[in-house]
Amino acid sequence: MGSLEGLVIQIQGLSSSAGDISRLHVTLKQAEESLRSESTRLYPILNQLDPSNHSLGYLYILDACTSASISKEQAATLVPYIARFISLCVPEQIRLAPEKFMSVCKRFKDQVVLLGTPIRGVAPLMAAVRKLQNSSEHLTTLHPEFLLLCLLAKFYKIGLSILEEDIFVVDQPRDLFLYCYYGGMICIGQKRFRKALELLHNVVTAPMSTINAIAVEAYKKYILVSLIHHGQFSTSLPKYTSSVAQRNLKNFCQPYIELANSYSTGKIAELEVYVQTNGEKFESDNNLGLVNQVVSSMYKRNIQRLTQTYLTLSLQDIANTVQLNSPKEAEMHVLQMIQDGEIFATINQKDGMVRFLEDPEQYKSCEMIERIDSSIQRIMALSRKLTTMEEQTSCDPLYLGKAGRERQRFDFDDFDTVPQKFNI
Amino acid sequence: MEFSSLTEALASKSYEKIPDICDNLLLQAAAEGVAYEDDWPYAIHLLGHIYVDDINSARFLWKSIPSAIKETQLELVAVWKIGQKLWTRDYGGVHEAIRGFDWSQEVQCLVAGFSELYTKRMFQLLLSAYSTISIQDAALFLGMNEDDATNYVLQQGWVVDPASRMLTVKKQAIVTEQKLDASKLQRLTEYVFHLEH
Repeated sequence: MGSLEGLVIQIQGLSSSAGDISRLHVTLKQAEESLRSESTRLYPILNQLDPSNHSLGYLYILDACTSASISKEQAATLVPYIARFISLCVPEQIRLAPEKFMSVCKRFKDQVVLLGTPIRGVAPLMAAVRKLQNSSEHLTTLHPEFLLLCLLAKFYKIGLSILEEDIFVVDQPRDLFLYCYYGGMICIGQKRFRKALELLHNVVTAPMSTINAIAVEAYKKYILVSLIHHGQFSTSLPKYTSSVAQRNLKNFCQPYIELANSYSTGKIAELEVYVQTNGEKFESDNNLGLVNQVVSSMYKRNIQRLTQTYLTLSLQDIANTVQLNSPKEAEMHVLQMIQDGEIFATINQKDGMVRFLEDPEQYKSCEMIERIDSSIQRIMALSRKLTTMEEQTSCDPLYLGKAGRERQRFDFDDFDTVPQKFNI
Repeated sequence: MEFSSLTEALASKSYEKIPDICDNLLLQAAAEGVAYEDDWPYAIHLLGHIYVDDINSARFLWKSIPSAIKETQLELVAVWKIGQKLWTRDYGGVHEAIRGFDWSQEVQCLVAGFSELYTKRMFQLLLSAYSTISIQDAALFLGMNEDDATNYVLQQGWVVDPASRMLTVKKQAIVTEQKLDASKLQRLTEYVFHLEH
């Protein structure tokens, strides 16, 4: 078709300077409709364009190619083109059409999942996130898509590297919910329970006007991770949680709350019975593995409780109190807890005794000073950001409009100080 | 596939870099659509995760390996056995798994490096967890026979009671330099400034 060739020539010709590219952009927007109707004939055009020099044009062609629904064979052909495009495209050009870039990347994710090879999308989506975001503090729609691929491909460590970054700017609330939920799952997979709790906490306490399914699923995992990491769980949510969440979350997570109640009794046999009877519910939520981890953490919790009462205890006594089968088993449990830093103790095999110790950290070392220093620096940076945000909000017309309505109509200063009556 | 960074790391014995190098190379190969599974050095990749004690990543990698490869590559299965023993905390079993296979030349050095590292880790664990321990158990943890184990710990200052076959643990006092420099004063000044404004 003549106009297609014409378009190609325009893309090739108008991609060198910023002024040319804005003209090209207008042309491309006008050509969108006709491109979409030609979606099947567009594949060979991709070979005539360079993904790096002609990023904007290439993006529009890809968007048109992927706009219709695609068969598996077509996906198999397209996926390498999109992967190559993402790695070679130029950020300045694609940021002129961010929604198109996001659509193309999302469809790319759908295609690699359709082909059963999510791992093919991990590296490209990570590159896409970096090219789309304005700074490392910016959360885009592609972040949760990237984490989802990491989960499906079972490549968790690379997902963690993105999760380490602090987020201050969010495009869409839904992105935050999904990002924190998937992020929580990745941290659980790498046994980073403290960070998992932080992320799941964000989902549960995020502003919401109606209850959503992501928050419910996050709350279930939040309860379980709380038990594994802290050995306890409280149903009271912080004040800044939405009223919708405060009222309704518990109702959707009853089996989990009852599990937490059973856990707090410290009786492992009862807990195991509860898990057995309710196994199906946990299984259908895909939480059975996590629930089993909760049960094994009970031994640790009970041993930790002993340190509050005893200075030394025999391995036999530990085995009896915690319901383990033998002193040797008790020794192995204590040894593993020492290895994981969950307890400070020494085992005396000669007497068959365990001596519980205080945490030897004196908080006087250079390493500790470094840690405290870096925490203070982070908090100072956060405080500065909050001050800036507060200043911006105070000047925002929407805010002033709402706050203004709630002020009194007259200030005290508006009233005259002249007395009402004169005594003549 | 370009493996030069991997061969370099192996040659210079920078084993701790191997898991990240392998992860990145694998993701690149997958992104390019290359059929990498058959030629991939899974044994080295798996050993890399084991070396840095990231058993979680080792488990996930194992799960992603096609079963055809798991059935034919016996060395890979032997490497996974080490990972399994680490996962189940079968401390003595790890040494057995290391010794229980005739490793190929490529993998030999990496396995030997891990074995040395693991023995040191076990010794540190015994040091922090036990005040007295039987010679038999110490030998099991350190992967040595009882005489070698006794000599090893005696050199570290432990005391042996041959009658009861018991070892008394002695910790060496570690002195670390505690130096403060002028930049700390600068930072304290910044904190006070921040608090006052």
